[in-house]
This record gives sequence, structure tokens and C-alpha cells, in this order.
Amino acid sequence: MSRESRGLGILPWLVAGWLAALLLAPLVGSHSLDPTAVFGGDATTATIFWQLRLPRVLLALLAGGALSVAGLSYQTLFRNDLAEPYTLGVAVGAALGAVLAIRFGLQEVLGLPAVGAASFVGALAASSVVYGLAHRRRGGGGSTLLLAGIAVSLSATAVILFVQYSSDSTQTYRMVRWTMGGLAVVGYREVLWLLPWVVAGCGLLVTLRRELNLLLTGEELAASRGVDLGRLQRWVLGGASAMVGALVAVAGPIGFVGLMVPHILRRWVGHDHLRLIPACWLAGGAFLVVCDTAARLVLAPAELPVGIVTALLGGPFFLWLIFTDRGR
Amino acid sequence: MTPAQPLLACRAVEWQTGGRRILGPLDLELTAGETLAVIGPNGAGKTTLLRLVAGLLEPTAGEVRLRGEPYPSIPRRRLAHHVAYVPQIRPARVPLSVEEVVLQGRFPHLSRWRLAPSEADFAAVREALAVVGIADLRHRRLDELSGGERQAAYVAAALAQEGELLILDEPTTHLDPRHQRGLSELLLRLGRRRRHGVLAATHDLHLASRVADRVLALRDGRILALGSTEEVLRPGVLEDLFDTPFRLLAEGRRQVPVLELEP
Repeated sequence: MSRESRGLGILPWLVAGWLAALLLAPLVGSHSLDPTAVFGGDATTATIFWQLRLPRVLLALLAGGALSVAGLSYQTLFRNDLAEPYTLGVAVGAALGAVLAIRFGLQEVLGLPAVGAASFVGALAASSVVYGLAHRRRGGGGSTLLLAGIAVSLSATAVILFVQYSSDSTQTYRMVRWTMGGLAVVGYREVLWLLPWVVAGCGLLVTLRRELNLLLTGEELAASRGVDLGRLQRWVLGGASAMVGALVAVAGPIGFVGLMVPHILRRWVGHDHLRLIPACWLAGGAFLVVCDTAARLVLAPAELPVGIVTALLGGPFFLWLIFTDRGR
Repeated sequence: MTPAQPLLACRAVEWQTGGRRILGPLDLELTAGETLAVIGPNGAGKTTLLRLVAGLLEPTAGEVRLRGEPYPSIPRRRLAHHVAYVPQIRPARVPLSVEEVVLQGRFPHLSRWRLAPSEADFAAVREALAVVGIADLRHRRLDELSGGERQAAYVAAALAQEGELLILDEPTTHLDPRHQRGLSELLLRLGRRRRHGVLAATHDLHLASRVADRVLALRDGRILALGSTEEVLRPGVLEDLFDTPFRLLAEGRRQVPVLELEP
């Protein structure tokens, strides 16, 4: 049966790539590590591997996976190829939260770094506003939600610019640096904070896989087959946005991963979300690890924020989308 | 839900939007095994009626009942066990195979916690594909098919849903004569099985005269005529309905209304 066989072929390769990213990326950097030294008792090498690089790679795997799965869900929910955490205002909402926390010099909220907590709140607030706006218009479908997302993005961006303009130069530098997104200065604490959000978000989306598949033939048919569209929108938007909010809180906004990975994966895996969700999670994680490794190597021993690397790839990718037949 | 109740009953159903009444007030009953054609000019409210009956719109007044049970008290998923809908407007690009599209009709029967559909689901899909006559297309991508073949796939998906009420919006639009004939035969076959109540909006008066037990003529959201095909598909009624002359053409023992193109 084509449905059963298609796409199974690539999953083992994705698992292999994911494991390769996990095991090899921590060895690469401004200082290449010898695997025998890591396990052979060399204390400095072991510290770099276990305390600096491995948590960073783990965070990249989680974050890339979460961004890709969230992008995939948004694209299916809004039936729009351009939907992703960025275009829907979720990432910009998070950035607004962070920028306000920096501006007002907040340090800690409930034991969390204030910038992270504020960005998490910002992401959830933005997605609630987007959902609320779209539903004030009766029968708000996918395109209404996407337009509401763009409206929220533009407004939040304007406020961010205003706050930056009214801040002193140190604050402005911190804001600009934060909005570039990055995985530097990360420990296991951030990994452990993100893990439950990603597990819960992806788990929820996997249970909604059939509803997401049904949206491929349109909202009208999905509803006539028993899908409660309003509830589905709330669950998908809420689940994916909480996951994105949590990761933006630790890594800042990292764009385009959620756009690029699902597009490429659909070509290989097909459109069944039962396969697409795990495939996007694996490929997105490995992809962000590769981008982050590149970010660490390009200017070594200094490093580039990973958001710049993904954005550099995102521009040409958009063009590729425009000039191939991927538009729906 | 007792069998004595009509399969579908609309009581004083109305639908308004923007202060304008699009449909109703309207009363309508459909019994199991009956095929009802809904005809009327563009904008008469045919699609609105179908969407109300499919549970996709809530009437602004009155109520729709399925075997006596009012729609609002039927959860969406359970309603989908009974009512299947084939809309006229669908996404232009659907990246799925015919079998995947038809399998989607099984959604109300699938458990959220089972990864794969059951053998019973695949059996229902096979039967629906066979009834519609597109079993050989099942592995083809929907995007690669002709309009008629796509229409057949969506009808098969609605059949796989195994409801008792089948709602079709303009099923023969965009179909060439061969596929129109195929669809008409399919509706006749479904009618003979007496398992489904069928509600079909159509501009195809020939189709209506051939497959329908009764015809509902809608104009400006109100019932202009409701009765047997012979009663409604008469030049007098049709001229009132469409503001254009018709005549009857003998087809065997039956009379078929045709549009008078020459004065």
C-alpha cells in the first residue's frame, strides 16, 4: 500500500543523521576534540565535551525539532506554505517580551531569567491575540489567522523599534544581540527546561495527526467528517506556540528552520503527518546542529549567532519556493 | 432515534447573514432511501441549505433534526457517522492519493490511539472505490486526475463514511458527458439500494428528472415548489423558477425539460 510504504525508506536515514549530529558535532569546533581523549580521562577535553558542547548540541536538536514541527503544524493548519513561528507573530511576540524585560532591567521571574520568562509570555500572548483577532470575524479560516499573524507581527515590530530607540546603547546592544537568536552560554538547565515542552507539544500534535491530514482536503470537508475546527485550531496553535515560546525563551528567535525543513521533508516523506511529524523533528534537529556548528566555525575562535546562519539560508530558500511550483 | 422519524427534518429553518435572509423559513423532510434534487437559479440558497443540513452552518432560526434528534445535541463526530457531504468547492491542490482521500472518509470511525486504520476501514474503502468504479485509480495522485475522476474520488470518500444521508453539491458540474452519465448511473444505483437518503443540488435538470424521487425548487431562499419530478419539472414551474422558457422533450416514456434556446 503506497500509504504504508512511502516515506518509511527515509526514516532510518533521518535517525542516523540525527545520531551523527549528536555524536559528531560536539567534537567539532574552534578546538577539535579527539573522541578517545573524551572518554580516556583527559579532564579538559571531557569538560569541553560534556559541559560546553554536548548541552549546546542537545539544545539545538530539541530547538530545531520543535521549530520544524511547529512550522509544519502551522503550515497545515493555515494551509499556507509561508506559515511558521516568524510569520505568525509568535516569534515577534516573544522578542517583544524579551526587549521589554531588557528595557526595564528585570533580572529574574520565578527563578527563571527574566528575559526568557518574558519572551515565553510574549509568544503565548501573541498567539492568543492572533487567534482572538481571527475569531472576531465569524468563521475565521486559515487565511484570516495568517493575516492576523502578520498584523500582530508588524505592530509588535513597531513597538520593539520604539523600545530600542528609547533605550541606552548597552540595552540596545543586548536587545539586538538577543533578537539574532543563539545557542551560546547554554547548560543542561536550559535543556531540561525545554525538554518537557517539546515532548508535550510534539506528543499533542501526533495525536492530532489525522485531523491535520484531513485539513489537506479543506476545512469544509474536514468539518463534515467530524473535525471540530475551532478546537483543532486552539490545540494546534496552543501546543505549537507553547513549544516555540519555551524554546525562544532559551535560544531567542531562530527563523526559517520551521519554514525550510517541513517543505523539504514533504517531498521525501509525503503528506501523512504520522510520518511527517517525527521526520521533521529528526531533520529539524540535525539541521539546526549543522547550522550551529557552522556558526561556531565560520569566525572561530569567535562565533556567529545561529539565527544569522539560518536567515542566510532562508532568503535563497524563499526564492526557491517562489520559482518552483511549491506555492499552493 | 426511532425508525419512525424521517431521516432528515428541517423545521422553519432560516439562515441570515449581514441582516439579509439567504434561506427560509423552510420546512423539509427526507426519508431513508429517497433522493431529493434541489434546483434553482444561482443565489437561490441551494448551497446554504446543503451546508445547514450537513451541519456546517447553524440555522439562525428553526432547527434541523436527524431521525428526530436536533443537530446541536449531536456531537460533530457522531453526526459524521450519519451525514456525508461532497462540497462543490475544494482545494485546487491536494497532495494525496485517491486511496488516501477515500480513507479520509473513515475518519469518524477511527480511534485516535490506533496508529493504523483497521481491516474494516480498508474494506469500506475498497467497497466505496468499487461502487464508484475507480478501483484502478486508487494509487494515483488526486492532482493528476481529471475533474470527473476527482469528483468520483470525493463521492467514494463520502460513501466510505457509511452515513445514511449523502449530500452532494452540484455533482455534475465540470463533468464531460461520459462522466455525467457515470455519476447519474451511480446515483441510480445508490437509490436502488435504498440505504442512503440523497440530497443533491444541481443545475442539471436531466439528471434531476432521471435520478430524483422528488424535486425541491428554491428561489430567493424560499420553496417555490416541492413534489414529484413530474410535478416540479414542468415548463410552467421552471419558467417561474428561472425566468426563461422551457419545453418538454419526450425521452422514451418520460418527459425531460429542456431549455428553449430559440425564441
